[in-house]
Amino acid sequence: MTEASTAAVPLDDAARAALLELAVRGLHRGALGPAQRQLVDAGLAMVKGPLVMPTAEGRAAAADELRLPEGGEQETTLRRLMTTFLPINHRLRELCTSWQRRPDGSANDHGDPAYDAAVRDELDDVDEAVGRVLRRMAEAAPSLAHYRADLTAALEAFDDGHTGMLTSPLEPSYHTVWMWLHQELLLMLGMSREEDGELEAALVAAPSA
Amino acid sequence: MSTPLVPYGQGRARGLGAAALGVHGDEMDRLVALGLPVVPGLTVPVGHAEELTDPAVARSAVDLVSQLAGRTVGDPAHPVLLRLVASAPLPAAGLPPEVVAIGLTPGNVDGLVGVIGRDGDLHQAWGALLRLLAEDALGVDPAERDDALAGIPAPRDQLSALLALCATSGLGPVPEDAAGQLALAATAVLRRWASPRGARARRTQRLPPDLGLALHVQALRIGHWERSGHGLATSRDPETGRAVATGRFHRGVRRTAPSAAGSEESLSGLGPAGEVLQQALTTLEHHFGSVAEVGFELRDGRVSLLSAGAVERPTPRAAVCLAVDLADAGVLTRAGAVRSLAPSAVQELLHASVRLTGSEAVLATGLAASPGAAEGVVCLSAQRVLALAADGTPAVLVADETDPGDVPAILVAGAVLTAHGGLASHAAVVARGAGTPAVCGASSLRIDRAQGLVSAGDLQVREGEVVTVDGRTGTVYLGAVDIRPAEPPAELDRLLGWADGSRRMGVRANSDTVRETEVALRLGAEGIGLCRTEHQFLGERLPLVQRMLLAPDAAAHRAALEELRRAQHEDFVHLLRAVGDRPVTVRLLDAPLHEFLPRDAVYEDEAARLRAAELHEVNPMLGVRGVRLALLDEELYPAQAEALFLAWVQVVEEGVRPLLEVMVPLVSLPEELAVAAGQVRLARDRVEAQTGVRVPYLLGSMVETPRAALLADRMAEHAHFLSFGTNDLTQMTYGFSRDDVESRLLRSYLDRGLLTASPFAELDADGVGALMALAVDRARRVRPEIKIGLCGEHGGDAASVAWLEGLGLDYVSCSPQRVPVARLAAAQAVL
Repeated sequence: MTEASTAAVPLDDAARAALLELAVRGLHRGALGPAQRQLVDAGLAMVKGPLVMPTAEGRAAAADELRLPEGGEQETTLRRLMTTFLPINHRLRELCTSWQRRPDGSANDHGDPAYDAAVRDELDDVDEAVGRVLRRMAEAAPSLAHYRADLTAALEAFDDGHTGMLTSPLEPSYHTVWMWLHQELLLMLGMSREEDGELEAALVAAPSA
Repeated sequence: MSTPLVPYGQGRARGLGAAALGVHGDEMDRLVALGLPVVPGLTVPVGHAEELTDPAVARSAVDLVSQLAGRTVGDPAHPVLLRLVASAPLPAAGLPPEVVAIGLTPGNVDGLVGVIGRDGDLHQAWGALLRLLAEDALGVDPAERDDALAGIPAPRDQLSALLALCATSGLGPVPEDAAGQLALAATAVLRRWASPRGARARRTQRLPPDLGLALHVQALRIGHWERSGHGLATSRDPETGRAVATGRFHRGVRRTAPSAAGSEESLSGLGPAGEVLQQALTTLEHHFGSVAEVGFELRDGRVSLLSAGAVERPTPRAAVCLAVDLADAGVLTRAGAVRSLAPSAVQELLHASVRLTGSEAVLATGLAASPGAAEGVVCLSAQRVLALAADGTPAVLVADETDPGDVPAILVAGAVLTAHGGLASHAAVVARGAGTPAVCGASSLRIDRAQGLVSAGDLQVREGEVVTVDGRTGTVYLGAVDIRPAEPPAELDRLLGWADGSRRMGVRANSDTVRETEVALRLGAEGIGLCRTEHQFLGERLPLVQRMLLAPDAAAHRAALEELRRAQHEDFVHLLRAVGDRPVTVRLLDAPLHEFLPRDAVYEDEAARLRAAELHEVNPMLGVRGVRLALLDEELYPAQAEALFLAWVQVVEEGVRPLLEVMVPLVSLPEELAVAAGQVRLARDRVEAQTGVRVPYLLGSMVETPRAALLADRMAEHAHFLSFGTNDLTQMTYGFSRDDVESRLLRSYLDRGLLTASPFAELDADGVGALMALAVDRARRVRPEIKIGLCGEHGGDAASVAWLEGLGLDYVSCSPQRVPVARLAAAQAVL
C-alpha cells in the first residue's frame, strides 16, 4: 500500500474514533470490528495476534487529528492546567507504588487492612484533586469530560472488591484510565513524554516556601 | 456538666485509657510518664468530642492550651497557633486529617510571618485550614470555590478571596477568633469521620461502624523557621538494623502531616537536638520492647514529641538487632530475645529479596514455591541452563513443568519458573531443596519452545532475555530488578546460638548433595535427617539406570547394577566426608521406576520398549515404590547399602566417623521392613567379609502410610528409629494428591473456611497429628528408647514445629534453608 492510497481512502466517523482510541490507548484488544478493519486496510493499524496496534502512520494521523491549534485559547488553558495535573499525576504514581509495595520495598501482600485502608483513603484526596483539574479541562475541551465518569467507574469497581481495578494494566483500572487521559493530553498539546517528564519533575521539586 | 479537658499526661491519674483518650491521648500520657518531652496539649475524650463544636467549650480548650504552653494566641512576641488532631480508641487508618494553623486571621498573619521569617509555609497552612473549614464546616461548594479562585494568581489574594467566599456563599464568615475556628474545625473533622469516606475506612479495617473519636488540641508554637521544624524518626536504620535514629525532617512551620516530599533533610540537620531525639527513641525501644517511631517538633532548637509508637512491621534486620541489643542491655532475658523474634523474619534474612521501585513490569504471577529472588536469562531447556551456567551466566529455567532429568539444571539455575504444578510439584520440591528460588503454576504463561518464546497475556519474552523471579511472593518481572543478597547480621548467629541453648528437639536437614550439606551445616544443622538417594540415579547416571531397568536378562541386570553401585559409592564418600562425625540418615530408593524411563519414549529395540511398557503404572504414587521395589528386585537395596557401607569404611580410614542411619521408605507392613532389614544386614555382612570391618548402623523406617502409623509398635520391633514422612502421610490420610489439590482445590477450601492452611504447609494436628501421636505412643511402649523424628517440609514450619515439640519428637529435619527457622521455632516451643 502506498502513501498516496492511504491518503486517498477517507475514514468514516467510526474509524476515525477508533484511530484516536488506538493512539490514546496504544492498542485494541478483542475482535476486529469494521472500524479497525478500515484502519488496517488503510495502513494506519496492524494486527498482532489478538491485538490491534497503530502503525507509525496511524499514530501520526491521530496526533494530527487531536493536536489543538497552536497558541489558541484551548491550548493555552490546557497547558496551564497541565502544571496542576502533573503534580497530581506524580502523587497517583506514588500511591500506586504504595499499593503494590510496602515502604520497606517488599511486595504488598494485602494482609494489613490498616495499610491498605490508608492508601485507599489517600486515593480519595488524589481523586478529588484530579476531579477539580479535570472539571476545568473539560470546560476547555469537552471531549475529555468522560474521563471523570471512567475514573469513578474504576474506583467503584475497586471498592466493590475488584482489587485489580486500581493498578492492573490488563483492566480499565484507575491507573489505566488515568494513563489514557494523560496520553490524550500529551497528544492534544503536542508534548513529548520527555518534555512531560521534565516538567513534572520540575513542578514536584519546586521549593514550596 | 462541663466538658472534660484532659491535659497530656493527666489521663492516667483520672483513670482514663485509650478507650476515652484515644490512641493518641493514651500515647502522650505514656510519654509524659517516661519523662519524655511532649508538645503541650489536651484531649477531649471519646463521647465528648461533639461538645468541642460549641464555641464556649472551644474557648475553654484554647485557654487551657495557652496556659499549658505558657503562650497566648495573638501574643506578638511569643505567638502560638493551635492544631486539632483526632484519634480513635483503636489504631486506625483513614482518620480525618490534622487541622493546623487554627487562630490565623487577616489581622495577625503579617506579624506571624515576621516572626517566622518567611511566608510560604504559613500561607499554605492557612489555605489548607480555610479550604477545610469552607468545605466541611461552612458548606461552600468546592466547584464554586475553584471557580472563584481560578483567576487569582497570588497566594495571599487567594486567601482573601476564600475568606470572602465563605462570608458570601457559606453558612457564615470564618470566625476571627481561635475558639470560633476551633469549634468549626471540630465540626469539619467529625463530619469527615461520619462521611461515607470515614465509613469506608472503618468498614475495610473491620472497625466498629460507630467508632468514636477523641479530639486533641495542641499548641503550635511559632518561631523563626531556621530553628523550627517537624519530622518523623524511627529508632533503627531499616537497612542495617543498627540503633541509629533514621528519618526525615522539614525545616519551617508545620503544615500538614510530616510526609510532604521535596523539602526534607536528614536528621543530622537537627544538631544537638538530635541527641535528645536519639535518647528518647532508645527509652521508647526499651519501653515498647520494639522498634520505635516518633513524630517530633523542633522549636528554638528543642525537640518535643508529637506522637510515638512501636513500628508494627520492623524489617527483619531491625528486629534481630533489636532483640540482641535489648538482651545485652538487660531489658530482655536471652530467652525473651529468642521469644521476641518471628521465625518468618529469620527466613527473610536468609533469602535474597527484590527491592521494588513501582515501575517494574510484572510478566506473570504464580505460587511462591521456593523463597529467594534471582534474575537471569530465560532458558527453555535444561541443556541451555547448563550451557550458560558453565560460563557463569545466571539462568532462569522456564518450563511447563520439570522432570527428574531437569534436576542438574535446577541445581545450577538462578531460579525456576513453571507454568503448571503446585507447591509440591517436582520443580517446587527440588528447588526448595536446592535453595533455588522458584515460582510454580504461573498458569498465564504460554511456552513455545520451537519459537523460543514465552508469553503471558499481551507480554512476551524471548529465550535469552532477562527476567527476575521473586520466589517469596510468586511474582515474575520483566527485565532485571534490583536484588539484595542475603547477608544476615552477626546478631542472628548470636540469637540462634541462644536458641540452641534452650531447645530440646534436634534439628537436622534434608540434603542429597555435598553442596546442600555444606549449606545445612553452616546454617546450624546437627546432621542430615534425610538423604534421598534418587538423585544418584539421575543426570549422567540415567542411561545406566535405564540399562538396569530394561535389562533383557539377569546377567545384564547384575552388570548394570554393579556399575551403579560403584558410582553410588563415590557419591556416598563425598557426602560422608561433608557430614563429618554427625548423624546421617540415608533413605534407600523410593521413587517409582517409571520416573527413570526415557521421557521421549525412544528405546534401543522393541524388546526394551515392551519391558518399559510393563513398568507403566496407573497410579504410580500408590504403586511400586519404596520398600515395594526391594521386594520385586532383591538386589537393589543390598547394592545401595553396600555402596554406603564401603564408603563409610573408606572415610573412617580418612579420620571421620559419620553415624549411619539406614532408612526404609513407604513401609506399610512390618514384614516388609523385616525383609528390607535383612537385605541391609546382608550388605553389612558382605562388606565385613570384604574389608574386615563390621560397619555400625541404625536401621529405621519411614512412617508415611496410615497403616505404618497404626502398627508403629510392630514396626518398632525391627527399627532403631522411626521418621515421619508427613508429606505422604498427609496425602494418604486425606486421600489428597498434593499437586492436584494445591493447584485446583486448596484456594476454594481456604476461601470457604474449610481449611485454614494447606495441610502440606502446616501440619494437620487433628487428623495426621492424631495418627502421629498414636504411633509415638505405641512405638515407645515397645521400645522406650526409640528415636523418632520427622523429615519433610513441616520440619521447617514454625507452627508445626511447636506442635511437634508437644508430641515429644526427638528431632525434625527440614530443607537446609529452613534450618534456622526450625532452630528458633524449636526453642520458642519450650520457652
